[in-house]
Amino acid sequence: MMEFLIVLSRYLFIGGIGLFLWSGIVYIAYEQGGFLGSPVTAVSLQKGIVIGMHLLAFLILTARTGFAAAGFGLAGLIFLLIAWWMLDHIYYDGCPLLINGMLFLMDVGLIFLWRLEPPLAQRQLIWMTLGLTCICLLPYIMKIIPHTEKLEWLYVVLIYGLLLATHFFGEEKGGSVNWLTLKFRTYSFTFQPSEIEKFLFIFYLASVFRKRVGWREFLQTAILSAGIILLLVLQKDLGSALIFFMTYMVLLYVSTSSELLFFLGMGTASAAAVLAYRLFSHVQVRVAAWKNPWADIDTGGYQIVNSLFAITTWGFFGSGLTKGMPETIPVVESDCIFAAICEEFGSFFGLGLIGIFLMILYRGVRVALDSARKYHSLIAMGVTVLLTFQAFLIIGGVIKLIPLTGVTLPLVSYGGSSILSSMIMFGILQWICVLCEEDAREKEERDRIYE
Amino acid sequence: MSKTKRSIRRVFWFLALVLFVSMGYLVKLVVVDRDSIVTSSYNRRLNYVDESIQRGDILDENGIVLAEDLIAADGTKTRSYPYGRTAGHITGYSDKGKSGIEASENFVLNTVDHNLLQRGKALFTGELPKGNSVVLTVDITLQEKAAQLLDGANGAIVVMEPSTGRILALYGYPDYDPNTILEDWDALQTAQDSPLLNRVTQGLYPPGSTFKMVTALAAMEYLEDWENFTYDCTGEASFTDKEIHCYNNRAHGTVDMAEALATSCNCYFAALAEKIGAENLLKTMEEVGMTAVYGMELPVSLNKVGLTADAADNELVETSIGQGKTVVTPLYMAMLISAVANDGIMMQPYLVDHVLHADDSTSDTTLPSQLRQICTVQEAEILQNMLQGVVESGTGTGAQVEGVTVAGKTGTAENATGNDHSWFVGFAPAEDPQVAVAVLVENIGDGSASGIAGQMIAAALETEQK
Repeated sequence: MMEFLIVLSRYLFIGGIGLFLWSGIVYIAYEQGGFLGSPVTAVSLQKGIVIGMHLLAFLILTARTGFAAAGFGLAGLIFLLIAWWMLDHIYYDGCPLLINGMLFLMDVGLIFLWRLEPPLAQRQLIWMTLGLTCICLLPYIMKIIPHTEKLEWLYVVLIYGLLLATHFFGEEKGGSVNWLTLKFRTYSFTFQPSEIEKFLFIFYLASVFRKRVGWREFLQTAILSAGIILLLVLQKDLGSALIFFMTYMVLLYVSTSSELLFFLGMGTASAAAVLAYRLFSHVQVRVAAWKNPWADIDTGGYQIVNSLFAITTWGFFGSGLTKGMPETIPVVESDCIFAAICEEFGSFFGLGLIGIFLMILYRGVRVALDSARKYHSLIAMGVTVLLTFQAFLIIGGVIKLIPLTGVTLPLVSYGGSSILSSMIMFGILQWICVLCEEDAREKEERDRIYE
Repeated sequence: MSKTKRSIRRVFWFLALVLFVSMGYLVKLVVVDRDSIVTSSYNRRLNYVDESIQRGDILDENGIVLAEDLIAADGTKTRSYPYGRTAGHITGYSDKGKSGIEASENFVLNTVDHNLLQRGKALFTGELPKGNSVVLTVDITLQEKAAQLLDGANGAIVVMEPSTGRILALYGYPDYDPNTILEDWDALQTAQDSPLLNRVTQGLYPPGSTFKMVTALAAMEYLEDWENFTYDCTGEASFTDKEIHCYNNRAHGTVDMAEALATSCNCYFAALAEKIGAENLLKTMEEVGMTAVYGMELPVSLNKVGLTADAADNELVETSIGQGKTVVTPLYMAMLISAVANDGIMMQPYLVDHVLHADDSTSDTTLPSQLRQICTVQEAEILQNMLQGVVESGTGTGAQVEGVTVAGKTGTAENATGNDHSWFVGFAPAEDPQVAVAVLVENIGDGSASGIAGQMIAAALETEQK
């Protein structure tokens, strides 16, 4: 019976993600003035798909791994329901596609973490609860600190403070020095400072770029950003360095609309990349493993080759949940979780996940376009680009499109700091989305009075 | 602000493009690159065993079962090998890890077609879904004949179709019974004559006089007047610091190449090799694929070539008569004699003919493929004629078959383990070769390989005609 259900579930999961994306299109079409179906039904259907996927997956996991999975599945379900209930209330005017997309990705993460290593899934769920609390409190916190756009120097000082602290007191994990441990009496708490730096960086750039960008602003941001990126490269955190660079380039381009500056920046970065390749052996190792992982399977190419085996062996439909061998991939629970998902849910599902990031990109950009203030527009852009680009870095890495850099797949991979920061970024998008709606309503009312 | 909006839209399209490229690359990975990635020996998923299905069968050329899953009334599965030891080195075992075809075709045997349909049916009928079956090129009657002919002597027999590389029989003794591998394991591990070693594909032996075919081909290529080269054999001769003896010190008189092959005259070939030189002989050994890396469905030991381009004379003359440091597998000798029979074209040997699905359709049929051209067509034809003489009136008369012209070469390989090994490699009918054989009998001390080869050829031709 279970064997039949597992084989059947391969098609159900893929059908589910397909229908989820289609519902997104239905919603967007309505917004644009077309009609493919009721947007209210579409949003409800998306919620139904997430719940259906959750139930089916934990039914299989319970049958294959024992009753603990049922208990965890129930906890996860309660989390999902509470999340929808709270977010729908607090962000009444927010974007439902963003909320559903976020919860879909988080649920895929929970399913696979439980399948790979249940204790990690439990910890992840605790972090998610914390993240949800942060998102819910966010609008109130932003009301308390009203002028975040005037704190640019505070952001710079904090970023450099964190970076230098990591540099001198940081711990090495997985080849990069990007962990800090805080100790208070007997409690110790380890986190990735780069996740906090991401927010500070976006707020800093938005604060500067909201004004007219002249030479002074350009040089100031360019030099300070280059310094940040250089420090990250020195800490061997190449993934974060690339993410910060991309965020800077996009925000610079959006605020100046200058193609010249954009290509100049890209050119400088290419030159810097070549220089980094020559100077740092850890960069050479990554590039060599990407160019020909087969030449060095036992060491450098091991991770990428095993991830390719996982993605391709079972074809587009996957092996079925619990029927694959994802445990053979190193760091599968964080960096390489995309390969594990492709292995058991199929590469069609993997394509669907990229589709969900595309949907999030579209909605994020929509928020940036709709916001009346440039400051908010830039923050929305920064957050959206950062999430999408990070997803591309790690997905492109595990499918061997680009060299593998150890970053997490936002909302899916295991990692406390990572899941928390990704969730707060969604919160920020929602918050700006709500602000847009409020502004639009105020404007409407004003117009009515003048009439 | 409108300029800003235009920039935002452009950033959107840029990132959307990046995501679309990722999607395209993922599709390409699964559609185009899949086969070359998945087949890597580092892919542990190939060893995956699905306990919830009935593993596919391994069948011989005519569909006779060599390995199948039997399911008892209480649902327990056992893997059964009806021909046991006779096909053991081919099928391999599956209860103590996996070997042989069980290992190399594991993924096929584990793959269920119409998985959903079969599993759905299983809910009602209780029948386990069945994996795909593998149909081999082997004929089990020939395999039994080979076992019967070796009759408990350590050795190897391989029968091949020269024009395709199909392997019709592949038998090595000592063998083992895959049905009882668990009980026998400890004994097999410690046994003196390593029964788990497949002597056809993994046994390395000095080629003895069968190597003279290679020396002959080298002469044809590098000595312009090789046809006029004769040697007056007195039964022994010395070369620099090496004494060469003919078998039983027999004096063959003045011989040319054809006579020297027929009588297997060591002195002639040693003298010929001195004229050819180590460098040229080594080149020919490379051309005939003796140094090449190759593989097939079973694990293969690569030949070891002891000759170097600057080798001393003694190593050169010893190699030329197959006695130096060079050792080869019986499988390779079968490939070599097949290539001679096939006008110089060496084919890739193979054991798996196709995959048979539950609905009786077939897929993945192996297409014969060429490995290399080992010599010109003319050179192959000259050698074929000379090899006919060996069986007609030379050392290989034991391999004669009534009503069929057999061509071949005998070998007597001195070795460190005891009496001489006996070799015979040959093909028939000589005019239109249908089968090629390589036979090796360890430490037998006489020329009994020729007789075995003759009977093997007769049996193979009989089954081919059916």
